[in-house]
Amino acid sequence: MSDLLATGASGVRAYQSALTTVSENIANAGTAGYARRSVALKEVNAGAGISSTSRVASGMGVVVDGVVRSADAFRAADVRASSADLARSETGVAWLDRIQTALTGNKLGDRLTSFFTSAQAMAADPTASAPRSVFLEAGTSAANAFAATGKALDQVAADLDGTAENAVTTLSGLGVALAKVNDGLGRVTPGTTSAAQLLDQRDQLLEQMSAISDVSVSIDVAGRAAVRLGGATGPTLVSGSDAGTVTYVRNDAGNVSFAVHRAGEIATVVPSGGALAGIVDGAQRIEAAREQLNVIATSFVDGVNAVQAQGRDLDGNPGAPMFATGDSPTDIQLTLTDPRGIAAAAVGGGPRDNSNLQALSALRSSARFEARTTGLVADNAAALSSRQQVAEAQSAIRDGAVAARDAVSGVNLDSEAVDLMRFQQAYQASSRVIQVARETLQSILDIR
Amino acid sequence: MQISTAQLYDRSATLMQKLSQKADKLQIQVSSETRLLAPSDDVVAYQRLATLKQGKADDLATKGNVGLAQSLLQQTDSTLTSIENSLQQAAELALQAGNGTLTDSARATISTQLKGVLDDLVKLANTKDARGQPLFGAATGDTAVTIGANGAVGFTGTGTPPAIPLGDDQSIIATETAARVFGGVQTANGATDAFAIISKLAAAIDAGGNVSSAVAEATDGINASLTQVGTVRGSVGARAARLDLVADQMTDTAANREIDRSALEDTNVTETLTELQKTMTILSATQASFTKLSQLSLFDYLR
Repeated sequence: MSDLLATGASGVRAYQSALTTVSENIANAGTAGYARRSVALKEVNAGAGISSTSRVASGMGVVVDGVVRSADAFRAADVRASSADLARSETGVAWLDRIQTALTGNKLGDRLTSFFTSAQAMAADPTASAPRSVFLEAGTSAANAFAATGKALDQVAADLDGTAENAVTTLSGLGVALAKVNDGLGRVTPGTTSAAQLLDQRDQLLEQMSAISDVSVSIDVAGRAAVRLGGATGPTLVSGSDAGTVTYVRNDAGNVSFAVHRAGEIATVVPSGGALAGIVDGAQRIEAAREQLNVIATSFVDGVNAVQAQGRDLDGNPGAPMFATGDSPTDIQLTLTDPRGIAAAAVGGGPRDNSNLQALSALRSSARFEARTTGLVADNAAALSSRQQVAEAQSAIRDGAVAARDAVSGVNLDSEAVDLMRFQQAYQASSRVIQVARETLQSILDIR
Repeated sequence: MQISTAQLYDRSATLMQKLSQKADKLQIQVSSETRLLAPSDDVVAYQRLATLKQGKADDLATKGNVGLAQSLLQQTDSTLTSIENSLQQAAELALQAGNGTLTDSARATISTQLKGVLDDLVKLANTKDARGQPLFGAATGDTAVTIGANGAVGFTGTGTPPAIPLGDDQSIIATETAARVFGGVQTANGATDAFAIISKLAAAIDAGGNVSSAVAEATDGINASLTQVGTVRGSVGARAARLDLVADQMTDTAANREIDRSALEDTNVTETLTELQKTMTILSATQASFTKLSQLSLFDYLR
């Protein structure tokens, strides 16, 4: 009969842990990265030979075998992969959007148009000073638009550097945290609540890492994660309790690259997913836009100055250069300040002549400055628009992956309520077993 | 599939956020009257809009040039009318001078009048245009005609005045040179100009004696000059008519361009508002269903 007492007591203990686990689930229903836990119960076997007199060896009650974490490694990997894809597209979209704002914000195309149309108005009355002043003003605003657009692109590039630095710092920090978790996992007893907590942390860290770079994760028997960046063949960032650091470099040509420093070795990372890959895409786009803008600016300055040089100003002198460039090709300044200095006339044409302005008009149609500026914006906009669509699709894919993972590891309060009732009843029943055991034993003790 | 409680909330929050964003975008499209908020919304439309916008700016400049050219041509035409009147007057005076019964003193008066007509013609020839430039000026020179030391009238500049651009490689010469208006008159004694014809007649009258042959020559010359001025007026009128066509064409193009632009860029208010209403309905339905769903909890029934 003391067995009965022990069995009842084991039930009370087991269901107490079960109830604790359920209440833990309920409390953490909204905690990010928390995987639903349950208690694995196991019958205590009556060992053979202990009760040799009895043929029927009954069990010795129930025991908590461990805390089971409802997690699916494959679904978690799915979430990581889709997060990395989505983060790449979303980061790319963000930078392309910034480029679009930089290219369109200063209305370069409109400024160029008004520069050339003011030349046309000046051609109708080449000797008057008002149209000449208007033309010079239009030249100033075109030059300013080039300079401001160039500066805006430079600012985008500088912001990208800042973001990339932040991202690699965060990634390195996550690596260090993961190494600590790995260390803990090596020491903790599997199947305990603390093991489950560490595994939750591990999965959450991995998910955060995958938003920054695509990671290839391999997990050993103790649950420790080894992380490679940029796919299965990439350099190792975390292995066991040892983590490296990630660095970001931009070279003179404007190309950006990442590297992992670990155990005295430096290896280049080529991210194909995550924010880092988006940053690489963005950097390439910024550089390409900057290059095209420079080409347009240079051909504009050279073209206008060449037209100016081949003509004669109001005083019959050869036209002085209208624009000068500074350090960067888009750093354009108006050097011609005297409206009389505009070379509207051809050589020997006299002050009323406007044929050199026709040369300017011919330059406009042959060099197609405005169309090239529009093309620059349109190229970027086309890339942006397709990325947005891709990001939308990837967002849906990620939502699906998250739903699939949460179906396994998420907490549903209704099922927890059911469990709560079930374990409460089991607990009460176990207490009743103890009571019955006591009463039964008492009835024997009561025999006089 | 089990739906975790956190997921129920997160999903609903995301969905409602998306609907709000959509409603916000539609609202901006209605209030700004523009469908295209960024080039990436519709790349093809953006590129076409840029072309339309450039065309509009070009036409605005051309419109100014057309207006200036029209006023110049009008001024040319009215000045040519005055020149015709003066030449008519000269022709009448020549006719009077040809009258054999006139005395020399009476002819001297006619000579004085002829010199007055000559002065008038020189003044008319040197008329300034709206731009402050000589209306009948050539490509060079500050005036159209100059009076030399010997009193002879000469053409100051050479060449044709610069054409006014009208866009699309079109241009128009909105004025005439004095040489074309007054010069190159063919007479029996070769090519001469209107000024020379009149001053020659005045000189012949001043010299006295029989002026009938001089009068006959001058009358032929003045008539030839009148014919020439008439031809020039015809040419000016033809150019004015061409400008009217250009202006009409620009108005048509502007109207078509506006239709194109509107189709590309403007918000279809009916469509957008319907879409907005739909979005709002779905949003409020989502909110209502979310409220209901989130109220459902087994814990409420545990007593």
